[in-house]
Amino acid sequence: MAVVKVDKLARSVAEGPSLMTGSIPTRNWMDVPAVFKPGNYAYPAKAEVIRYLDSQKGVSFPNAREWSPEDDDWKLPANWKEIILKGLADRLDRFRSLKIFMDCCVRCGACADKCHFFLGTGDPKNMPVLRAELLRSIYRQEFTRAGKILGRMAGGREMTAGVLKEWFMYAYQCTECRRCSVFCPYGIDTAEITMMLRELLHMVGVGINWAMEPVSNSNRTGNHMGLTPQAFKGNVEFLCDDIENLTGVRVNPTFNRKGAEVLFITPSADVFAEPGIFTCMGYLLLFEAIGLDYTWSTYASEGGNFGLFTSNEMMKKLNGKMYAEAKRLGVRWILGGECGHMWRVLHQYMDTMNGPADFLEVPRSPITGTVFDNAASTRMIHISEFTADLIKNNKIKLDKSRNAHVTATFHDSCNTSRAMGLLEEPRYILDHVVENWFEMPPNTIREQTFCCGSGTALNTDEIMELRMRSGLPRANAVRYVHDKHGVNTLGCVCAIDRATLTTLMNYWVPEVQVAGLSELVGNALVIDGEQRQDLTEGLRTLV
Amino acid sequence: MVVVIVTMELAEALAGKKQAILSLWIERTLDSYAAPGFFKSAKDPFANPVGSNITAGLTALFDLLRTDADIQTFAKPLDQVVRIRSVQDFTPAQAVAPFLELKWVIKQVFSGDRELRPLLSQLDALDCAIDRMALAAFDIYAECREQLYRNRIRELKSGSAILTDAACPSALLRRESGMESGQRPNHERA
Repeated sequence: MAVVKVDKLARSVAEGPSLMTGSIPTRNWMDVPAVFKPGNYAYPAKAEVIRYLDSQKGVSFPNAREWSPEDDDWKLPANWKEIILKGLADRLDRFRSLKIFMDCCVRCGACADKCHFFLGTGDPKNMPVLRAELLRSIYRQEFTRAGKILGRMAGGREMTAGVLKEWFMYAYQCTECRRCSVFCPYGIDTAEITMMLRELLHMVGVGINWAMEPVSNSNRTGNHMGLTPQAFKGNVEFLCDDIENLTGVRVNPTFNRKGAEVLFITPSADVFAEPGIFTCMGYLLLFEAIGLDYTWSTYASEGGNFGLFTSNEMMKKLNGKMYAEAKRLGVRWILGGECGHMWRVLHQYMDTMNGPADFLEVPRSPITGTVFDNAASTRMIHISEFTADLIKNNKIKLDKSRNAHVTATFHDSCNTSRAMGLLEEPRYILDHVVENWFEMPPNTIREQTFCCGSGTALNTDEIMELRMRSGLPRANAVRYVHDKHGVNTLGCVCAIDRATLTTLMNYWVPEVQVAGLSELVGNALVIDGEQRQDLTEGLRTLV
Repeated sequence: MVVVIVTMELAEALAGKKQAILSLWIERTLDSYAAPGFFKSAKDPFANPVGSNITAGLTALFDLLRTDADIQTFAKPLDQVVRIRSVQDFTPAQAVAPFLELKWVIKQVFSGDRELRPLLSQLDALDCAIDRMALAAFDIYAECREQLYRNRIRELKSGSAILTDAACPSALLRRESGMESGQRPNHERA
């Protein structure tokens, strides 16, 4: 029997009458334009939002206008090219890292297959190396001698409107998760390249609404939702009523109380949207159980900081409220809730941007006496560090059987794992609050964790397909532990995860629900004097 | 009357040519992506979810077809492939085209083998089974798309939409006090 040669057959295919002709591009990547159609781009920022932000001190968002990615004409300012090149020159000068990242890539390809956007789409421009090349090609053309002389032969290309559109397409198909940089032998942080691309685009009035409206709301009221202090307080109090119904424990948190020992800051999604509210109920119960002297702030009412996805200056401005409120209220240190990107800002930038926090003390748990030297500079610790320390010192009573309905796995958020190294504490907590939990495969967790696919303000519904395909690598690993171990709960420590993984699971692994770790702590927590009902689904039980 | 889709002779031929048919079918399917090299080569299912799920799904489907399995049993492997292609950059036709392509692949492989060429005239029933598989795939495609839109609605209803459509208190104040656009209350400048 003759041996069939697949290669030979594949070649003959293009000639025969077949339904499929393949999609491998025949042109150089520089000659393949970005095509915008419904579902593959997030809506542009509203002009009124940009106008408002541009009127604010310390930040610049010029060229507000109505425009659509699907139109040929993006109504760019007449001198847009000059603005972009000047902006790039300025950034190359200010950020040495950017200059190095532009120069040192050897195109080894180690990052190419590590990006969840590439793995979900098969689009070569989603390989981190090529996504960076979108900017690097302009850098070469305009800022290197070889590029100036040889142009395309040296990997350079002209800055055109088409290039700008391509930037918009792919700077918003990157969640700045930094998985690729774990594998880069040179340590190139592709997230920072995306950040630069987004900054440059903002200079010509090109941004997305799902980033800019929360930024605008945060600038105005302190939180993404634009919740007024009254609404914020009201929402937390609603949760206290729910807690009382479920457990018989009355929790009475304070707001803007001067002289409290600790200021607690968490993403605002925790106080108003499912399933974050169950996590919030967990915080409230925990603080009640240990009698923590803490207060909420109705202005530092948002842990998240979409400025990180917008511009350096915006991030700094939005972050400023944390220390400002800590100072105003005279607290000793700050405790932060479960959030992902919030912790990248706090851990990597806050101290430089808005520190030194010399008016605060190095965090010391009043319950265990543990001093958190790891936060000696920022004076702010993560709730998982705080909780794990309580458990280790036997300061709280936990009954795992109250989580009998849960078989868990743990999703490391990109930012808490790769940006702050929070790997063990959440696992230590899980060990003590649930009877059964199982790790996903090693190349999908810890430093190598896969993004939810909806970070960096891509958690908007108009790009649902994009979110589902970029979330596939994460969901695929969850599917595996569900099939193998019957996992029904995906634990996490991030507010964007809680919202977007819920949708992701709904599509890929509907048998799995998403829960914040503090929710699972709250479920298991035994409190003196409680009159807990039979809560078959923990704090989610409808009574 | 029970219609025999796969005769004994055909079954033997399909079993004998399984690897050739599958290789070509999977290759043709993965070539629908712009940069398929990695999808074809990487074997780790967690590093390469698209390539490995499509490979596993198509392999299972081929085995079901050649053993004349009940159409119900096709649902799981079809879902494994279609759920992915439903959210990728394909038209509905492109998303399910690979299933119909199997007819072409089998003919291509059989034509290349002198001994199997006589079987080309016996493929009508199998072609029909492949059509049924493709139609079932389209049902799943439609289901996936509906679920996608249900998820969009669920997110909107869940309140995340407040994130971008919240009434701006300052704007409301401005409107109430009849201030002209461009003028801002003091607190907004701060």
